[in-house]
Amino acid sequence: MSKKVLVVDDDPDVRSFVVTVLEENQYMPLVAQDGIEGFEMIEKEKPDLVILDVLMPRGSGIRLYRKLKTKETLNQIPVIMFTGIALRSFLKSQKALDEFNGEEVPEPDVYLEKPVEPEELVAAIKKKLG
Amino acid sequence: MDIEIGETMEIRKLLFVTKFEDLCYDALNSLLALRNAALEHVIFLNVIEREKVAMKRGSGYLKEEEVKLKETANIRFIDWAENLFEMGMEVGAYIEVSTLIPEILKVVKRESPDLIVIGHSHKGAMKQLYAGSDVSELIRRTEVPVLVFKHMREDNIVPEKLFERPLLATNWSDTGKKMVEYIKGFKNVIGELHIMHVVKESTLKSPSAHDVQKVRKAERKRLDALCDEFESMGINARPHVYAGDPQKEIEKAAKEYQASMIILGSSDKAAILERWVGSISKNIADKSAFPCLLIPGKKNS
Repeated sequence: MSKKVLVVDDDPDVRSFVVTVLEENQYMPLVAQDGIEGFEMIEKEKPDLVILDVLMPRGSGIRLYRKLKTKETLNQIPVIMFTGIALRSFLKSQKALDEFNGEEVPEPDVYLEKPVEPEELVAAIKKKLG
Repeated sequence: MDIEIGETMEIRKLLFVTKFEDLCYDALNSLLALRNAALEHVIFLNVIEREKVAMKRGSGYLKEEEVKLKETANIRFIDWAENLFEMGMEVGAYIEVSTLIPEILKVVKRESPDLIVIGHSHKGAMKQLYAGSDVSELIRRTEVPVLVFKHMREDNIVPEKLFERPLLATNWSDTGKKMVEYIKGFKNVIGELHIMHVVKESTLKSPSAHDVQKVRKAERKRLDALCDEFESMGINARPHVYAGDPQKEIEKAAKEYQASMIILGSSDKAAILERWVGSISKNIADKSAFPCLLIPGKKNS
């Protein structure tokens, strides 16, 4: 059975690009367009991998990522961050939130800064899912 | 969002509506003082006017122009968002080809912000980026307070100290009470709050100076009580009674006390009246040199 990959991104063009890449590589794509819908899909579908944008309406990828990684039943799901936000800023945000919340959230498995070539995305997915 | 009287409102989420020419990161930066209140989430909205990408004879829909404008906005938002994310804040963004007010209302419905910030240009009336009619239409159609941000460089008033000395003008209406509850949410942000009431000229028509002074004394007592209420919450407050035309007197007080912004209520009654004579809040938001925080009254649903 194909592995399920959830794409969370508010940009329909990006969703379409990632879905095409996933289908061409025999993965089953699922889509959500913001952080809130994304978390609902993760709880319902338990995907094998999440490809996650950061800057989105109704709940950013940063909050979704932290929610996922601090929930015991979901924190094993690997995440590929796929965003225009620089890694440096993402890591600083994590540090600020770790300090504020008194928790330690691990770094994402893969961090890809947009734009990304299809081959680079496929390589990252295969690295996590085989 | 619906503020009940007696309930203090926290400003957790802010909707920042920008066309970039009017509101930029410096304006946003001045609002970050609200983090000392409760601000934790900023939503950016850029509305690209339809006519910028609309079909034109011989060229059709300007898809390339839309992509260019959206990507330009996206680059700005990413830069701003990185700064806010690094502070541990939550950020979201919308870039839409649409009409300004309906799009703001749509985002308000999706995001439930506690404050809407929009820009106001000092360019000529014909060139205003957000015309006064947009502000009054927004106030008419939302219950969320609206901050009309203005750059005041020509007056040497530094906009980054927006909450240093706000001037709250009250007319003792229900909207005024709602306004008081809302301002309490700024308790860790405000430097010194100036509270004023303008006694209308018509009230001063008595030929007796004694009667006029009685009116002033009564209003001053009400203001003192309101100042005490704010001071019990840790907000320094000073009362002022003015007399005359409310619009002129509010502007005068703002200048005299070097206000950092003017805070006004805006009732539905005023919104109806303004179609005929222009409401005080609309006129001040439109014409004043000072940034204006407008607190709408309860809407009749």
